[in-house]
Amino acid sequence: MIQYASIILIMLGLYGLLTNRNVIKIIISLNVFEIGLNLFIISVGYVDGGLAPILTGNSTSVLSFVDPLPHALVLTSIVIGVGTTALGLAFAKKIYAKYGTYEIDEMGVE
Amino acid sequence: MKKVLSLLVVLALGFGIINSLNQNSSFPKFGEADVSDRVSDRYINKNVTEENEEVIFGEDGYETGSSNFVTSIVANYRSFDTLGEVTVLFISAFGVALLFSKDSKRVSLNFKPNFMLRVGSRALFGLIIMTGIYISVHGHLTPGGGFPGGTMIASSILLLYLSNDSFRTKIKGFKLLEGFMGSLYVLIGVAGIYVTGYFLENFLDTGVVGDLFSAGIIPIVYVIIGLKVGSEIASIIDNFLTEEVS
Amino acid sequence: MNPVLLIAIPLLFAFLSIMNKKFARPLLLVALLLDVYLVFTISKGLYSIGGFSQYGINLLVDQYSLIGLMVVNVVFFLTVVTNCKEVKRLSTVLLVALAGVNGLLLTNDLFNLFVFLEIVGISAYLITSGNKRPLATFNYLVQGTVGSGLYLLGLILLYSMTGTLNMALILPTIVDKAIPLSNLALPFMLMFIGLGVEAKLLPFNSWVKGVLQNANALTSVLIAGVFATTIALTFGRLLSTVFVLGSISNIVLVILAVTMLAGEVAAFASKRIREVLLFSAIAQSGLIILLFANGLVIPAIMLIIANIVSKYILFTITGKMVDGTKTDEIESLQGVFSKNKLVGFAFTVASLSVIGLPLFFGFIVKLNILTSLFSQYQLFLSALILVVSLIEGTYFVKLLIKLWYSVGEVKTFKVDALVKVVTLIFALGLIVFGVYTKPLTDSLMTVPEEMMEAIAERGNF
Repeated sequence: MIQYASIILIMLGLYGLLTNRNVIKIIISLNVFEIGLNLFIISVGYVDGGLAPILTGNSTSVLSFVDPLPHALVLTSIVIGVGTTALGLAFAKKIYAKYGTYEIDEMGVE
Repeated sequence: MKKVLSLLVVLALGFGIINSLNQNSSFPKFGEADVSDRVSDRYINKNVTEENEEVIFGEDGYETGSSNFVTSIVANYRSFDTLGEVTVLFISAFGVALLFSKDSKRVSLNFKPNFMLRVGSRALFGLIIMTGIYISVHGHLTPGGGFPGGTMIASSILLLYLSNDSFRTKIKGFKLLEGFMGSLYVLIGVAGIYVTGYFLENFLDTGVVGDLFSAGIIPIVYVIIGLKVGSEIASIIDNFLTEEVS
Repeated sequence: MNPVLLIAIPLLFAFLSIMNKKFARPLLLVALLLDVYLVFTISKGLYSIGGFSQYGINLLVDQYSLIGLMVVNVVFFLTVVTNCKEVKRLSTVLLVALAGVNGLLLTNDLFNLFVFLEIVGISAYLITSGNKRPLATFNYLVQGTVGSGLYLLGLILLYSMTGTLNMALILPTIVDKAIPLSNLALPFMLMFIGLGVEAKLLPFNSWVKGVLQNANALTSVLIAGVFATTIALTFGRLLSTVFVLGSISNIVLVILAVTMLAGEVAAFASKRIREVLLFSAIAQSGLIILLFANGLVIPAIMLIIANIVSKYILFTITGKMVDGTKTDEIESLQGVFSKNKLVGFAFTVASLSVIGLPLFFGFIVKLNILTSLFSQYQLFLSALILVVSLIEGTYFVKLLIKLWYSVGEVKTFKVDALVKVVTLIFALGLIVFGVYTKPLTDSLMTVPEEMMEAIAERGNF
């Protein structure tokens, strides 16, 4: 049940993307969307009572590990998110340099 | 009007997804994932290429030899994804530099670092960079690895950057480090083709599970990633800080 | 030769190129030459990365990916050579983009595909940043990111149900576990929408207008030619070997049919030459995906080849024309070809081929599409394609008449000899293949069987 919270987060991000007309706010919405997505990916691998997927000297064979693959995937997804956010902010600065505002409605184009 | 409409669309979409997941008998409920049914089972038992029942801490001869399973996936089983991911970060950092260097001139930071900042950052710099390197080097044993370690290295650079005027001009050297580390990663992959026949194959001895010097190329790759991520994020910071909107 | 070199060499050169800017452009040309050479020497098969057979990431080289690689690499090379001046500081980006498109065509892993999708996406944002329209590029970035995010969501749902990410293993696992169709509708729909953003499908394509409206020759050929072809081929592989469309095929068909019709109608209504071409490109990509969704792989590949060649000619010439005359209003471009006969000839051949007139390659493609659709009794789709072709024919002929016949003063523009030669060779190719298609159809014959081979062998070696 708790993993549906991340779906709600994704939807919040989408709502922000659909309604916001400010470049910076759009980037923030995009980040909310990505965080929801990442949480959902992690939740898919969770096993009740599972151990963190690291072998240590005192772990016994009775205990089971959670699925490590979603963790690896989410690492990739987070890094890609950082890349796009950095690029988005750079474009936001370019937009500001060109139009002098972050509000799309005030730019008088398109 | 537009907001109400978007709200309705988003609510419908969210409800649709949750409802369809709820009724989906093949989708495991939260906490009930069956790991033995997935490829990860092979990754945990390290028996993708060889017969193996269970991995025991402190023994040698396993196919990856990393005691952190996530690391064994990131830097060995799915290392190709990681190469792609490093490329994404590389091209974003390059893109930020590309976008900023074009039309507006570069302006330095418009504040002088005070005494506290100068001394405090010098004291913290060593600690943070050592933590970052430690985390990168121990990526195959403990949580963490090249990506978190790299960002820590970048944050220590940020401290120096804020506190030291003369350091800001030297930051160009990071481009060299970044390019060199990236090339090294690809070359290790290509070396795999010539040593054993597969790109990015773990061709070194995997050693004893749990030792610092184990897991073959995994720690090497993770240190490369750590330095590369560190220099990339440092160069992004540099581009954002020294550029002024004209 | 190991096909991973197609990805590794451009990546290595990209990392090297930032160390010294002077070498960036030569490195790009060397990498492109090496890749073009490698494409013609690699042999078919499944290539493992890291040696983990079906549990790791594999690269799949079959007839399908081989054809895609040849077309994309050659056109990429020619695009860079004919637009050498515009490349300038984009060399590193183009190197990464080259690695990305090769990766997309080769990979046999769903998550790896996502990574390459992001690489190609980010390079595309940077390439379009040369248009000096930061808002349009920002729009593209936001939509592209959401699109790949939805793809990732669908992918992770699929993983949690099947427990694998290997494209060759998804279908067999679905059959083994007897997962009902209704449970698969959500992940496939999400993945379809995600890729649909990049493939310019309606209603997810509002980025296209802003990006291609003001693009120069390099940007437009890369986005509308090279990247579009790569995405279409990737989409095609997923549609034919991974997706179980079943329960969502109706929604998919409606989306695709609307894309085609709306694209052509918008092109018909446009007054600016670049808009005409970009809306026509949207309609074409809708048609290509429609063919894949109906399982018509061979006509779809033929259409993709015809499409990239004609798009190369049309967008290159338009880009140079707009550069030279500083306008893209069709009214003020009247009669430009009367001063540039050779270029005009190539442009005419390409557009006539897009319409599907006999003697040109496009005709063979359209004929092939219609006969395959008729043999499936898809009368509605055949009618739709005929109507769309009619609209297409009308506006292209109108465009050509305007561009050839001068009224009053005629604007002129200069074209390099190299561009002339390359576009003419491509145009002649369209005619040659329009008359003599046997070698192409022969090499395409085995594509569908080979695509299913990897699945039949369950990703084993």
